[in-house]
Amino acid sequence: MKTISALPYEYDLPNDTENLALLIIGMQRDLIEPGGFGAILGNDVTPVQEIIPTVKQVLESFRALNLPVIYIVEGHQPDLSDCPISKQNRVKGDLNIGDVGPLGRVLVLGEPGTEIISDLEPLPGELVISKPGKGAFFGSDLEDVLQTRGISHLIVTGITTEVGVQTTMREANDRGYECLLIEDATSSYFPEFKQICLEMIRAQGGIVGWTATAEQVIHGLNQWKQSQVLA
Amino acid sequence: MASISAQPYDYELPEDLNQLALVIIDMQRDFLEPGGFGEALGNDVTPLRSIVPALQQLLETFRSLQLPIIHTVEGHRPDLSDCPPSKQKRIRGALKIGDMTPMGRLFILGEPGNDIIPELKPLPGETVISKPGKGAFYKTDLDNILRSLNITHLLITGVTTEVCVQTTMREANDRGYECLMVEDATESYFPQFKKLSLEMVRAQGGIVGWTAPTANILQALQTLTAPAISA
Repeated sequence: MKTISALPYEYDLPNDTENLALLIIGMQRDLIEPGGFGAILGNDVTPVQEIIPTVKQVLESFRALNLPVIYIVEGHQPDLSDCPISKQNRVKGDLNIGDVGPLGRVLVLGEPGTEIISDLEPLPGELVISKPGKGAFFGSDLEDVLQTRGISHLIVTGITTEVGVQTTMREANDRGYECLLIEDATSSYFPEFKQICLEMIRAQGGIVGWTATAEQVIHGLNQWKQSQVLA
Repeated sequence: MASISAQPYDYELPEDLNQLALVIIDMQRDFLEPGGFGEALGNDVTPLRSIVPALQQLLETFRSLQLPIIHTVEGHRPDLSDCPPSKQKRIRGALKIGDMTPMGRLFILGEPGNDIIPELKPLPGETVISKPGKGAFYKTDLDNILRSLNITHLLITGVTTEVCVQTTMREANDRGYECLMVEDATESYFPQFKKLSLEMVRAQGGIVGWTAPTANILQALQTLTAPAISA
């Protein structure tokens, strides 16, 4: 069996390459660029930009190996019918969800703010799934998509580590998916939260899953794909 | 409007206190007693008992005010048909889910290990939700129960903070519930994970909700209900 060198122990890759997908969570202008939802919540958004080259490297590696890629975007319908009042009440800045900001209507689907950043722009045929909450399984068809495609293993990347990313990974773990979070392809507005999330995930024998570096993942995938070609 | 003194700011109580429920997560022998699932995962389970007095206080207060109480228990069907293979494989010790132990079959619903500890034993009429995962909303009727009782506000307590407790709180938050985690009524096998989970929950203006100690909750509830009691 092929593996990725990871923590707390090696991550077993599935037998069939079609069973593994890359999840890219929240790499949208609203959470990464000034003037978007992340900034409205009072955050300095610049630190999360540091992972863009690494996410791109992983993305290109998945594309080169013809492996499935799924993007997740947080956003709401234009009438906000899928946005709980509690979520709007929690925003303490001048601008709220649905208000017109520098990136269009804040956190509304189809507006410039909910576009994936240009460096990671999806190719035709790559799936973009929108979600109204922090967890990508809630109120979305992500689980249907994964089941239809027979995907059992998820390589998880994106932002922010302790919010959208860990919530999604915990949902996936409860549903029986084998998840690995790429340490240098996830980021938070709070470095301390990112670090402790990595530790929480792999504690107790990998209670939520595994963590590894992008280099370890890319190396493991290349070896795995090669063995598939040779077989 | 009545509120509980909390972080990052006051937690507003609903107009009708019956819309507020106490959620006690997984205070079962499996996690708190030697020989159970918690220990099978390699943990020292003794620290978790420190929250029992605070939970007893909250439970007694909610019972005396006749406010809704929901207990949860993590466990599986005897044939393990609701236990993903990934969850079994993640256990690195000799004991697996379903194996016979001094507390009955490990992590199986209805076995002694799955009982809530005697100090917090549910009274007849109190709802007990069994769940196959870490999040209490996944594959349970919790959401239906809360909606049919018109419950909008949740006080979240129990074990362990960074696993079942925060997963459930994040699920509830995505679904629009206003959640407060009770700081001294939740515990982890890892003190640092507890501390940082509390900080993550209330960061960014309370992105997942609020936190407060038991004393603040009791004080708010007593102030609110005192006139009714004396009348």
